[in-house]
Amino acid sequence: MLNPFRSGHIRTRLTLWYVSMLASILLLYAAGSSVLVWWDLSRELDRHGIQDIETVEGLLQLRPDGSLFFNEDYHNHPESKRVLERFLEVLAPDGRVLLRNERLGQGSLGGSPFPGEGAGGYSPRWARLRNGTRIRLFSRRHNIGKTPILIRVAYSEDAIFQPSRQFLLDLLATLPFTLLLAGIAGYLLARKALRPVEEMASRAEGINAETLGARLPVAAVDDEIAHLAKVFNQMLARIEQAFDQLRRFTSDASHELRTPLAAIRGVGEVALQKNLGAGQYRDVIGSMLEEVGRLTLLTESLLTISRAEAGQIPLHLSEFPALQLAQETGGLLEVLAEEKSQQLSVSGDAGALVSGDRILLRQALVNILHNAVRHTPSGGRISVTVEANGDDFVSMRVADNGPGIPMEHAARVFDRFYRVDNSRAAQTGGAGLGLAIAKWSLEAQNGELVLESSPSVGCTFNLKLPRAKVGQT
Amino acid sequence: MRTLVIEDEPKLAEALRDGLEREGYQVTIAATGEEGFFLVETERFELLILDVMLPGRGGLEILAALRRRGVKTPVLVLTARDSVEDRVQGLDAGGDDYLVKPFAFSELLARVRALLRRGSQDKNQFFQLADLELDSATHQVSRAGQPLELTAREFDLLEYLLRNQGRVVSREMLTRDVWKEPARQTPLDNVIDVHVARLRRKMDDPFEPKLIQTVRGVGFVLRQEGC
Repeated sequence: MLNPFRSGHIRTRLTLWYVSMLASILLLYAAGSSVLVWWDLSRELDRHGIQDIETVEGLLQLRPDGSLFFNEDYHNHPESKRVLERFLEVLAPDGRVLLRNERLGQGSLGGSPFPGEGAGGYSPRWARLRNGTRIRLFSRRHNIGKTPILIRVAYSEDAIFQPSRQFLLDLLATLPFTLLLAGIAGYLLARKALRPVEEMASRAEGINAETLGARLPVAAVDDEIAHLAKVFNQMLARIEQAFDQLRRFTSDASHELRTPLAAIRGVGEVALQKNLGAGQYRDVIGSMLEEVGRLTLLTESLLTISRAEAGQIPLHLSEFPALQLAQETGGLLEVLAEEKSQQLSVSGDAGALVSGDRILLRQALVNILHNAVRHTPSGGRISVTVEANGDDFVSMRVADNGPGIPMEHAARVFDRFYRVDNSRAAQTGGAGLGLAIAKWSLEAQNGELVLESSPSVGCTFNLKLPRAKVGQT
Repeated sequence: MRTLVIEDEPKLAEALRDGLEREGYQVTIAATGEEGFFLVETERFELLILDVMLPGRGGLEILAALRRRGVKTPVLVLTARDSVEDRVQGLDAGGDDYLVKPFAFSELLARVRALLRRGSQDKNQFFQLADLELDSATHQVSRAGQPLELTAREFDLLEYLLRNQGRVVSREMLTRDVWKEPARQTPLDNVIDVHVARLRRKMDDPFEPKLIQTVRGVGFVLRQEGC
C-alpha cells in the first residue's frame, strides 16, 4: 500500500504531518479539558454533599414513638435538582438501618459503618451500589436528642460523569470538521509556498546545452526559495560560461588545426599538378613536414592544456633561488635577443628562494621571455628582475620597452589562442597558447601571473611565486 | 641487423620498413600481436619495435609475455599516449625505450642506434669530416687547419652533429641531447636555429664545401656534398 507520508508531493506530506500533529494536540486538549471539567464538577459535588448532609441533619426528627422521621416537605421546591437525586441512609451506630429514602429504596449505601466513619469529617469516598452504579458517598455522625446516628448521603457519579463526557463528546464532534478545515488551509498554504519551487523545476527541466542562457524565475520576496533560485541561476551562469569557453576552445582549436592542414593540402596538390625536379619535390615535402611539425607542437600544447585542466600534471615542488633560474633562462634565450640587437639583462636578489616546480616555472619563464623578445622591436631593452615581495612572495618581472599591450587586449592575453596581432602569428609560429599555459602553471604552483602593462612604456609580466619558508635571512 | 616491427597501421609500418632498410636494417613486419609473438618465438631478432595499441592482444601484454619467457631483445615501444603513467607502464612491462607518435623518423633512428649500442658506449673523442676536425678532449676545432673560436654551446652542437655525421638530426634530438631540455618548445626551436646559423657563419661561410645542411621540415645534417 502506498504510504501517504512518503507521497511524492511535499505539500501532501506537509499537510498530512500538520493535520496529524494538530489532531494529536486537539485530542490531548479535549481529554485534558474533560478531566478538568470532571475535577471541577467533583469538587463542586463534594461541597454540595457536605452542605446537603448538614441540611439533612436539620430535617431529621424523632417521632414520639421513637422512629425517625425525615421532613422532606422542605424540599418540595428544591433549588438543586441533585437534592432529588440523592440517596439517603440513616444508620444506628450498630449498623441497624433507621431510614432509607425512596430513591435508595431497599438498596444499601455500604453496610455497617467502619470505625471513624463520619466522625470529625464527611469521609468523602467512591463506592458502588448493588446495581453497579458508581456513587460519591458522604457520611456524618450526628445526635438527635441523645440518640447517636450515622447519616449517609450519596450521589450517582453520572451527575458529574455525564457532563464531562458530554463536554468531551462535543469537543470530539467538532474535531473532524476542525481538522478538515485546517487540512485544507494547510494544503493550500503549502501549495502556495511551494509553487515557486514547482515553477523553478519546470523551468529547469527545459534547460539544456542549447538553452543555457535561460534563468529560473526569482520571487520578488527575498526568502529561502528566492535565494535557492539565485544560487541556481549563478550556477547556470557559471556552466554557461564554461560551455562558452569550451565551445570557443573547440572552434579555435579546429581553426588552428585547419590552417596547417590547409597548407599541407595546398602545397601537396599544387606540387602534384606540376612536373617538378627532385630538388623541388624535396622542397615541397620539406614544406609539408614543416607544417606537420607545427601541427605536432600544437597538439602537444593542446594536450598539455587539457591535462592541466584535468589536474593530471603532477607537480614536483622544490625550493630554489629564483635569480639562478632567471639567469639560466636568460642565458638560453640571449641569442634570440642578440639577433635583434636587444639588450637582455637579468638582475635581482640572489637570496630569494621560491617554492615551485622548477621545470614548469622554467617553461613559463621561457615562454614569457620569448614573447618579450618577439614583440619588442630591434634595439629594444628587456629586463628580468627578481625581488622578494614581502615575506610571502617572490616576484620575477619580465619587462620590455616594446609597444606594450593595448588596454582592450590586456584582459584577454591569457585566453587560449588569443593574439594581440593575428597577422603576425603565422610568421612567428605561436599558436597563442604559451601565455595560457604559463598562467596555468604559475597558478598550479600557488603563484600568479599578472600583466602590468601600460601601452606607452612597454609590457611587464609579473611572475609571482610563493617564497620558500626555509633559508630566509 | 634483423628488426621486427609490430605495428598494425600499414602506412606507418611501410614507412618504418623503408626508412630502416635504407639504414641497412633487415625488417620484418607483423600486423598483430599474435603474429609478432610467433615470429619472436621462431626467429631471431636483434631489435623489436612495438606499437602499444594493437588489435587483439595489446602491445604491453605481448611485451610482458615475451619478457616472462626470457626474451632479452631490446624493445622500442611506440605509442600515441604520453602521460607519465603510460610511460611508466611501458617501461615496467619491459620496454627499453619509449617513443610518442607522431615522431620524427630521425628520432626513431637515433633511439634504435642508442638501444643497439647500449653497453658498448661510443668513446670516440676525435671527429673529422672533410677538412673539419674536432677534439673533444682538448675542446679544439679547426677547419682547413685554421682554429675556430666556438662558444661552449656551439661546440656541443658541432660535436653532436659530427657524432651523427651523415644522419639527419632533428630539433627534438638537439633539444634533448644538446640543450638537455625536458620538452620541445617553439622558443627552443628558434634558439636552436640561431645557434646553427652562428655555427654556420663560423665554420661554413668562409670555407668550401659547405658541411651543415638544413633538411627542410626535418632538421640538420652534417655531411660532405655528394657523399
